[in-house]
Amino acid sequence: MAHPAHYREAHPFIFVMTHWINLVSIVALTISGFYIHYPFLPGLMSVMRGMHFFFMFVLLINLAVRIIGAFTVKSATRLGTREVDTDIKNWLPQKLNRGQMWPWLKYYLFLKKEHPIGAKYGVLQKIAYLFTIPLTLAAAYTGFAIWGPTMDWGFLIAGTDAVGGPMAMRIIHYYIMWGFILFTAIHIYLANIEGTDPSKLIFKWEETEGLQFDAEGRVVGGKGH
Amino acid sequence: MAHEDHDAIYDLLAARGVSRRDFLAYCGSIAALLGLSEAYVPQIAAAVNRGARLKPAIWLNGGACTGCTEAIAQADSPDVATIVLEILSLDFIETLSMAQGEDALAAAEAVFEEPGYILIYEGSVMKGFDGNALRIGGITGLEELEHAAPNAAAIVAVGSCAVDGGFVMARPNPADATGVSMYLQEKGIDTPVVNLPTCPVNPEWVVAILVDVLLLGTLETGAILDKLDRHGRPKYIFGQTIHDNCPRRGHFENGNFVYEFGTEQEALGYCLYPVGCKGPQTYTNCPIVRWNRRASWCVEAGSPCIGCGSLDWVDVGAPFLNRHRDLPLPEVGNTQPNTIAGVVAGIAAAGLAVHAVGMKATGRTSGGAPYEEMKERDKKRMKKGGGE
Ligand code: HEM
Ligand code: HEM
Ligand code: SF4
Ligand code: SF4
Repeated sequence: MAHPAHYREAHPFIFVMTHWINLVSIVALTISGFYIHYPFLPGLMSVMRGMHFFFMFVLLINLAVRIIGAFTVKSATRLGTREVDTDIKNWLPQKLNRGQMWPWLKYYLFLKKEHPIGAKYGVLQKIAYLFTIPLTLAAAYTGFAIWGPTMDWGFLIAGTDAVGGPMAMRIIHYYIMWGFILFTAIHIYLANIEGTDPSKLIFKWEETEGLQFDAEGRVVGGKGH
Repeated sequence: MAHEDHDAIYDLLAARGVSRRDFLAYCGSIAALLGLSEAYVPQIAAAVNRGARLKPAIWLNGGACTGCTEAIAQADSPDVATIVLEILSLDFIETLSMAQGEDALAAAEAVFEEPGYILIYEGSVMKGFDGNALRIGGITGLEELEHAAPNAAAIVAVGSCAVDGGFVMARPNPADATGVSMYLQEKGIDTPVVNLPTCPVNPEWVVAILVDVLLLGTLETGAILDKLDRHGRPKYIFGQTIHDNCPRRGHFENGNFVYEFGTEQEALGYCLYPVGCKGPQTYTNCPIVRWNRRASWCVEAGSPCIGCGSLDWVDVGAPFLNRHRDLPLPEVGNTQPNTIAGVVAGIAAAGLAVHAVGMKATGRTSGGAPYEEMKERDKKRMKKGGGE
């Protein structure tokens, strides 16, 4: 009905790649994580652990690439535009986000009929995406704390002692997996519930026409105007 | 002289059915445990022989099951370790000396007067009930420990109870039990403590530590303290996990698991990970030193490691046949982590499903609702200010 245009400038190709790698890594880590938690089929432990130990590095390197990209790659600063600026601007509060937290909450709680104005990412979306960074780092910290080659590093041991030993660390690591599962479930839901245009762009780098917005968040044209 | 001493010890050992060869082999395994080469074997043998004339050792019992005493004493057929312990001049073992009553206590008292003895402490320190959970010879266990600790050259806390309260301090810990080092810290007594967890303690470790401390002189040089980890445990015993050295590790890697007891997989000696083996989280060298005269140890005997060498081991490991511990939820009680995760995920999934129905009902599923013309707060401002 009134969806914004999705242009490639919103997700430059490098971010399409980082998103794919992220998706594959998280899926691989979750499957192998569940297996390590309880080996539900015989015969696969070394494969699953190998997969886990491989993708944990992929995930972290990918995060590093994504963060470097934020400072070095330009991307669209809002929905429905081809105007670009350094990507990190999308991750800090932007003019269009100001005062919009409450309207977004109301929108999703069905207390507001109209779609709130947002930048490329709305307030809640921005918080949720940014939250994946500490979540990944927490997975890494708790994971390395229970990984043979690194578990006796001083700053990991300090954490292991603080939480009450390696069993507690494992349980926290396990719950971080559930944190990822919850994030991903909500993320998939919200990304697609109003239409699959955003997914077409982030996965297939395929553009779709729609509304265009000006710097004040007003609709200024495009398909559906 | 030294030669006569040697004869003396071999006579003593022979009288108990231990051959010279057995004894030297035993000294060899102590050397290995201490990380020393075979070249040290004669030195250790000689040191054990001289042992009786070095520092006296006293064994006191706190709140525990005396399982550690039992493990050491192995009354019906003493092994080399037991005999060596005897030779090492254990002047007083509280539990075993009790029949001697006042006389035994007086003998212990005489040792306490003279600083420099080794205090071996078994059992937890029970602070509850004003210390009255344990009374010996008219005083509380707490008073006894406070009396015996300051003059000791070092304290060897044997068994998990002495290390941190062990099973006695498992939830809800009615006796307010704690470990020796924690209690001494509270009381400002700074005698060095060597912690030897597991439930019960492994006699081989006690011998190794006594040899290290008493005979190789590592206490005087302070070298023993460098050999301890941050929990006061000797690194050469508690530096690697069970899992690192487990003979079933190959089965673990290959994914050959015991999922249920009484199955073919159990008979085949597969890995016990799915039935709760705590080996991956437990730092002891049980698979190397083994138990009961090196006959076997838990996993080799077919039982998953229950993690008795870990700190807070009961609460951290129970239920022992589950992979993860229980979490004590207020009101709900003990709950498995995956039950909690399942409930939270179920609620989230239901929430999303209900939300999706709402999105459909409000017609937002094909492109979302129309966009607002301007932000709500700008609208309000305009109303208030009557314009931009
Ligand atoms: C990012 C860095 C990560 C590192 C360094 C890491 C490392 C590890 C290690 C070392 C183990 C124990 C394996 C074993 O002892 O055999 C483990 C287990 C596990 N991992 Fe990770 N991991 C990471 C990320 C993740 C992620 C992102 C997830 C899920 C989304 C995950 C889920 C799990 C689960 C569920 C377990 C089993 C825990 C248990 O029940 O004991 N991990 N991980
Ligand atoms: C099937 C699974 C997934 C789908 C359908 C999906 C969909 C999307 C879509 C459509 C966007 C673009 C949003 C927009 O432009 O408005 C996006 C971005 C994003 N997604 Fe996913 N996603 C999936 C899995 C994941 C997973 C597993 C994670 C991480 C745990 C993740 C993290 C992110 C992040 C951080 C962004 C921001 C994009 C950027 O780096 O610039 N996604 N996702
Ligand atoms: S039996 Fe226990 S310690 Fe041995 S390999 Fe299996 S999980 Fe590890
Ligand atoms: S194998 Fe595990 S349960 Fe058995 S004695 Fe060693 S630490 Fe304790």
